[in-house]
Amino acid sequence: MDPIARIETELRGRCGADLKGTESPNPARLFVDVDRRALRAASKALVGLGGRYMVGIGYDEIARNGTLGLIHTFAFDTDHVAVVLRTSAPAADPTFDSITPDIPNAGWSEREYRDLLGMTFTGHPKPKRLILADDWPDGIYPLRKEVPYNLEPPAAEDVAYQLDEAPPGTTVIPVGPFHVSLHEPEHFAVYVDGETIKGCDYRGFMTHRGIEKLCQTQVSYNEVPFVAERICGICGTVHAVCYAQAVEAAAGIAVSRRAEYIRTIMLEIERLHSHLLWLGIAGHLIGFDTVFMQAWRVREKVMWLAERITGNRKTYGMVLIGGVRRDITPEIRTEIEGMLATLEKEVLVLKNAVIGDSAIHRRTKGVGFLSKEDTVRWSLVGPVARARGLRLDTRKDHPYAAYGDMAFDVPVVDSCDVWGTLVVRVLEIFESIKILRQALAGMPADGPLLAAIPEALPPLRHAVSMVEAPRGESVHYVITGEENRPERWRVRAPTYPNLQAVPSMLLDNQFADFPIILGSIDPCFSCTDRVAVIDAKSGAKRVLGRAELEGMSRKPEGGRS
Amino acid sequence: MSIVAVFVNVLLFLLLAPLFEGVMRRVTARVQSRQGPPIVQPYYDLFKLLGKERINSAGNWAFKLAPLAAFASILAVVSLVPFGSKLNALGGRVDAVTVVYLLTLGGVSVLLGALASRNTFAAIGASREMVTMVMVEPVLAMTLILGAVRSHGLGLGPAVFGTAGLGYSVSTAVMLAAYLLALQAFVAKQPFDIAEAEIEVLEGPFIEYSGPDYALFRYYMMMKQMFYAWLFVAVFLPFLRTGSYAGDILTQLAGTLVVFIGIALVGSTNPRLRIDQAVKIYAVLILVALGAVGLAVAGI
Repeated sequence: MDPIARIETELRGRCGADLKGTESPNPARLFVDVDRRALRAASKALVGLGGRYMVGIGYDEIARNGTLGLIHTFAFDTDHVAVVLRTSAPAADPTFDSITPDIPNAGWSEREYRDLLGMTFTGHPKPKRLILADDWPDGIYPLRKEVPYNLEPPAAEDVAYQLDEAPPGTTVIPVGPFHVSLHEPEHFAVYVDGETIKGCDYRGFMTHRGIEKLCQTQVSYNEVPFVAERICGICGTVHAVCYAQAVEAAAGIAVSRRAEYIRTIMLEIERLHSHLLWLGIAGHLIGFDTVFMQAWRVREKVMWLAERITGNRKTYGMVLIGGVRRDITPEIRTEIEGMLATLEKEVLVLKNAVIGDSAIHRRTKGVGFLSKEDTVRWSLVGPVARARGLRLDTRKDHPYAAYGDMAFDVPVVDSCDVWGTLVVRVLEIFESIKILRQALAGMPADGPLLAAIPEALPPLRHAVSMVEAPRGESVHYVITGEENRPERWRVRAPTYPNLQAVPSMLLDNQFADFPIILGSIDPCFSCTDRVAVIDAKSGAKRVLGRAELEGMSRKPEGGRS
Repeated sequence: MSIVAVFVNVLLFLLLAPLFEGVMRRVTARVQSRQGPPIVQPYYDLFKLLGKERINSAGNWAFKLAPLAAFASILAVVSLVPFGSKLNALGGRVDAVTVVYLLTLGGVSVLLGALASRNTFAAIGASREMVTMVMVEPVLAMTLILGAVRSHGLGLGPAVFGTAGLGYSVSTAVMLAAYLLALQAFVAKQPFDIAEAEIEVLEGPFIEYSGPDYALFRYYMMMKQMFYAWLFVAVFLPFLRTGSYAGDILTQLAGTLVVFIGIALVGSTNPRLRIDQAVKIYAVLILVALGAVGLAVAGI
């Protein structure tokens, strides 16, 4: 039986008259509209059928029909299907049943819309603020359309997040808001007994930039990819491609095969970069700086290659709706292939050094243990899940771009710990090289880089798109709008589900392992390169190149001009 | 003359300790395919720190006293030691236990400063430092006791020169192995830089320190490293002796340099251990060191 029909039948049986309609625009997507009464039952049924919770999306439809919409999305990985469960509630009473007791990973999505849209979720186990600042006034819900994007309510004094109560007999170690093992402001309150971790509370979202709101109100469709790229300094192309795919799916735009191949190449170059970067960071986090420096030396080659293709070392700026901005010429192709050969050799040396090092085994094996069952229960994604015996890879499960044509393995190990994550990510470097070679060889010789896009895209169409980022699956949900910009654009990076399970991974580990356990899910940071010096008097601008910057960083006298 | 030797000790240790640190940083950099800082960078660092404002962030006297006490204790240690294979005016009057006491005093001063600073990370660092001290200092004590047993005298001279100076035996070889394994812990480098572990506890005991106080602690650490590296050369490499004071100083310094390069190589090719893992290794080291002394008592 066709999986979509199977899921639909099951849901009809479970919800009866509360199921208001279904729609399947293509064989890989099923949109289901239910009454909010049946939301929890339907979600539970979908998870029972093998669905993996991806993300929740809330949206404001007050102006249109006086309701607030709520969507839960589920992936059926072995069936290659994504199911979208839509419901709504009148704005006067935006109450939904919480699905978090059944699906722990929905916890953050629900708290997010509690903050941003003023929804309430009955039965939520931890109805605390997630996104909004502690001094944000009650009753202003920034994602509602009536609230301007640049609203700045007055700051309040003496308000602070109330941490969870510490378990008896423990002391609190504050990791954050600023701590060297975090690369962004986040606050973990780690409850320890001696050096053994007994619990942890998390307060993050301290640099929430309101990108979704900005893109829903200020910019146009084709400006969003560039904003999307800046969500993350490491997997920018992932977000740009994911967004573009969602819009293309919603509006029915067909992208040329050549452009899809180029997207694949950029995504894999980004993966190479990210895996090497992470390997270095992981070394640093366990106090092994030689791994850090060597991995980053190899990574440098990937960055110069990216610059050769796109003009940028990171944040490539390659993706637009309907295709890509730059071509990969035969000369660049030769250069990529040459670089891949040297890269493969160097990574092999690195791999043998790291995988065979018993000292690294001591610091990573058995650390950050989370069972396969818990990994499924928490809906974890990416290398974190693949290190725990789950064969999850969006590139295989929900093929996009040119991945359907590529032959590659998905490394899976079942050690369920940080060591497994490390092995998976190192092995994936070789798979990426394999994919890149195939993509370069199999790329169609012609085809437009950019598809023609109609003047106005059809409004109020829904689409969900998934892309496998280096650290796991990214999900973008788009509802097309009437003003040449998305009506609603929801972004879910892989850290969003994975971070929610970190407290479980930390439990009963040593505090010394905190950095590497958190690091194993790979939180985010960005890097910049060139510096522009502007003379304040004349306004003359001088751009410093690589040689000058390196000279300045090495000779103290050169730096004091 | 032997009074002069006291000043030679102090001066050479003060002058050269940062240099060895610089060598270590440079070697580490080379292992990591980096250019590395200038070899004299640790001097720059110390000068910079010494020129900064003195801040008592804890607001109590113990916090201010701790770096001075640590620095004073390591100065006392280096003024006693038989540098250049020559027992000086002070060293001739003390026994091996004095040196162990003074070294422990330095460690206790670090603990004092850490606990006085009333910082969570300093407290974790202090508890790690305490464990390390309790578990590793015995290896040093056993090394000196081994010399004392073999040369039948607790004086500093017999203790230092007795271990290998009287010829290599099985007990000496066993102790040599224990000392080498403990060396990274003595000098607080990977895999045993656990108390300071920047990425976990943000330099642990030293987190609240800055400026001149921090400079004193850094200087203390550098001198301590140089002491342990030098002690290895003096105790276990008697064949480096030339017979002349100046010649011995030169060969011992050369030996110390080699030891430092070794420390840097081991440090840059190992990740940091957790304290629970390290304790197990320390326990074995203590047993081995005790065994070596036992062998020496039995005359083996």
